[in-house]
Amino acid sequence: MKKLTLLIIALVSFTGFSQSKYEDGMRKAFELWKAEKHWEAANLFERIAAADPENWLPPYYIAQINVVYSFGEKDETKLTAQLGKAKEYINAAKAISKDNAEILVLDALWHTAWVAYDGQQYGMKYSPKVAQLYQQALQLAPDNPHVVFGKAEWDMGSAQFFGQPLDPYCKDIQRAIELFSTFKPESEFHPSYGESRAKSLSEKTCK
Amino acid sequence: MKTSKTQLALVTFMTILGSMLPFTAFCQTIISGKVTENNGTPILGANVYLEGTYDGVSTDGDGNFSFETTETGTQTLVVSFLSFETFMMAADVSQMQGLVIKLREDVNSLDTVVISAGTFEASDNSKVSVLKPLDVVTTASALGDFVGALQTLPGTTTVSEDGRLFVRGGDAGETQIFIDGIRVFSPYTPSTNNIPTRGRYSPFLFDGITFSTGGYSAEYGQALSSVLLLNTIDEPDQEKTDIGIMSVGGALGNTQKWNKGSLSVNATYINLAPYIAVFPDRNDWEKPFEAYAGEAVYRHKFENGLFKMYAAFDATDFELTQEDIDLPEGLDFKLKNNNFYTNASYSGTLGDSWKLLGGGSFTVSKTDLGIIDSKIKDMENSAHFKLKFRKRFSNRVKLSFGAEQFITDFNEDFNNESVFENYGFQNNITAAFAETDVIFSKKFAVKLGLRGEYSELFDELTASPRISVAYKTGKNSQLSLAYGDFFQQPNSEALKFDNNLKAQNTQHYILNYQYTANNRIFRAEAYRKEYNDLLLFDTEFANIDSNFSNDGDGYAQGIDIFWRDNESIKNVDYWISYSFLDTERKYQNFPVAATPSFANTHNLSVVGKFWIEDWKSQIGFSHQYGSGRTYTNPNEPGFLQEKTKSYNSTSFNWAYLISQQKILYFSVNNAFAFKNINGYQYASVPDANGNFNRRALRPAADQFFFIGFFWTISDDGTDNQLDKL
Repeated sequence: MKKLTLLIIALVSFTGFSQSKYEDGMRKAFELWKAEKHWEAANLFERIAAADPENWLPPYYIAQINVVYSFGEKDETKLTAQLGKAKEYINAAKAISKDNAEILVLDALWHTAWVAYDGQQYGMKYSPKVAQLYQQALQLAPDNPHVVFGKAEWDMGSAQFFGQPLDPYCKDIQRAIELFSTFKPESEFHPSYGESRAKSLSEKTCK
Repeated sequence: MKTSKTQLALVTFMTILGSMLPFTAFCQTIISGKVTENNGTPILGANVYLEGTYDGVSTDGDGNFSFETTETGTQTLVVSFLSFETFMMAADVSQMQGLVIKLREDVNSLDTVVISAGTFEASDNSKVSVLKPLDVVTTASALGDFVGALQTLPGTTTVSEDGRLFVRGGDAGETQIFIDGIRVFSPYTPSTNNIPTRGRYSPFLFDGITFSTGGYSAEYGQALSSVLLLNTIDEPDQEKTDIGIMSVGGALGNTQKWNKGSLSVNATYINLAPYIAVFPDRNDWEKPFEAYAGEAVYRHKFENGLFKMYAAFDATDFELTQEDIDLPEGLDFKLKNNNFYTNASYSGTLGDSWKLLGGGSFTVSKTDLGIIDSKIKDMENSAHFKLKFRKRFSNRVKLSFGAEQFITDFNEDFNNESVFENYGFQNNITAAFAETDVIFSKKFAVKLGLRGEYSELFDELTASPRISVAYKTGKNSQLSLAYGDFFQQPNSEALKFDNNLKAQNTQHYILNYQYTANNRIFRAEAYRKEYNDLLLFDTEFANIDSNFSNDGDGYAQGIDIFWRDNESIKNVDYWISYSFLDTERKYQNFPVAATPSFANTHNLSVVGKFWIEDWKSQIGFSHQYGSGRTYTNPNEPGFLQEKTKSYNSTSFNWAYLISQQKILYFSVNNAFAFKNINGYQYASVPDANGNFNRRALRPAADQFFFIGFFWTISDDGTDNQLDKL
């Protein structure tokens, strides 16, 4: 009995302890990111991911940082390593949280990063994959603004490339902006990006 | 009850205490040190932490780190940084001060040396791709044939009337083709003299092509010169239907996907009759070329592996009369061929870094030939089974080994007015191989392999060692060396008449230099090949009365240069290949060693692609140059002593995207209508003046035009067939 008591104490105090540590860690990571120390933020997310392997958010953010900061990277060795790492953590996040539209959107962005790096080489190869990922995400979460906006932005890019009218995609972006206004992330650490970007894109392209 | 209340109270107390603990109860230990590269350069931004805890920090500009922890006892310190191997150390935290940690570079990174001697890759997954999968089908001269695209690479010889791959002084039979690691027994569509053949399999089912012009892995055998490895797509992106309407026929494809599996089917019908009616060629066609082909790939994903099954069937039928100097009425030739090929493979992980690859293929090929009054009926059944294991000991050391079995059963009936013969052979070859890859550092890697083969037919055992090393000479450049022994049995042309032979063999010596940077690749390769035990016979054509031996030999040496640049000119991608070849051999019916007619000294290919955004078009061009090829002039002393004039052909193509899913495609081969001569046929008897008359062997048509419309229907409306063209 005594042993059990101790165990319970240990467990409860450990979870309480680690919960607050998790929150502190996540908050600290977002602060670092805001302060443009995104690689330090990524390192911290990595430590959290290692300590808390059942949570999909830390690997999601590690991947997101690596993807976002690969846009504009010209050094192929660095880009390959960075996107390789991002893919590893996207897969880790997918393994923890199946059928998660947020992760699928990030996966689509991962493929878009390659297309942006070398359209000639990767455009034809990855475009169908990107389209398929957004399609899948849309089925899972038809009213998630990240999905709606991500898809609209990608479709708009393709339409611009082929010189087709942008009106239908402007409507989609408008819809995303509406969805953003009522969107409540599940927790303070769940993805909440994108609203201002959607607005500025809408102002820039859709008049 | 009482106890549990106490417990609860205690729990609550401890929890409150627990949240305060970091600041009060536990003693703090400081962990500190410095992280550098092997050469002492400090690493900024490395992630240093205790495994399983939140305690850690990133290193500063001098590579220093320092953080506090409340952990005690033995812990694991982890140091990770992009492009370096993760470092782990277990020790008591009290010992973790003033550490100096040197990270080893990750040899998986893009700038690690690669063993490149002899190998060209066309895939997105490899570190150094000279061709991209799309190139196979957007190269102007290739007409959607993967073999045609590979003929623009150095090391190949322009033998335009044949269409197969001739590599570094070797004949076409010295190149073997594999799909998903399993052998293809009859990779080319059947054809006849002076009409180029094509690869049987449609390029859009493959997403990786490796073309080795020498020095290849011990996993592959029964090829004296070259192997071509094709990998089918693991997982198609989406469900779709492809429709193609072409000036020479039509194509229909469909892909279906399920949760764990997918199926792609593709059917093609080719009929040259309308084309020949509009543009008659030099042959007199009784039955213009007609072919039906169907292909299917089924894939199923298991938890730890992938099963793929590929099947292809095609039927070819044609009859024509070709000019012949000895036959004023022409040579009548007809052919009917049915070919079925199936290939199943499984690749999966077994845990503990073991991987298994297994598979088999089976071919049934039936050919009915009619040459003037002779009828020849061929029946070939072949099978290949293979099992391979791969163990990854670390990023730096890998071992693979396996065994395979080839079975061939060949039968031929020959009959004309006076003769009826039936002959054939059964051939079983058993082989085992082992190979290890060791990457000593980012700069230096070695591959060592050994292959053993046993032929039941000859009761002969052969052993072939293979070795390659690669050394990085600079940031963007490297040198590779390769050596290998290669054995191959004489083909069915000889085996059907004589079994008392042995395997032919070559040794390859290859030196390769490669420079890659910013979408530019430069490769130069020098090689020497020694041929021994080549097949020899004492009649003009191999027949039942010939005496066969393995007394032939020969050599081939040369230099191959490749340059590709996708950077210097905006929207332009081009490559240039040049090959120099010096070869002589004594084989088949050669009375003396000579340069065979399929080997010429200089070959040059220039391929360019230009994307015009405003026209939504890709325009491509390619030029092929081949210096003259040898032929025997019986009016002069000597054998293969004269050379034809050189070969030139310029091709253009234009792909226009009508919309995302509709493409119009146009191409013309030999746009400038160069009058090429592939060789000469001399009369078998001299005329009244004692002179042997001759006839130039010219292509059936100097030019070829192609128009196609390709339409893809898919759910999201973005996919198209540009990758098929």
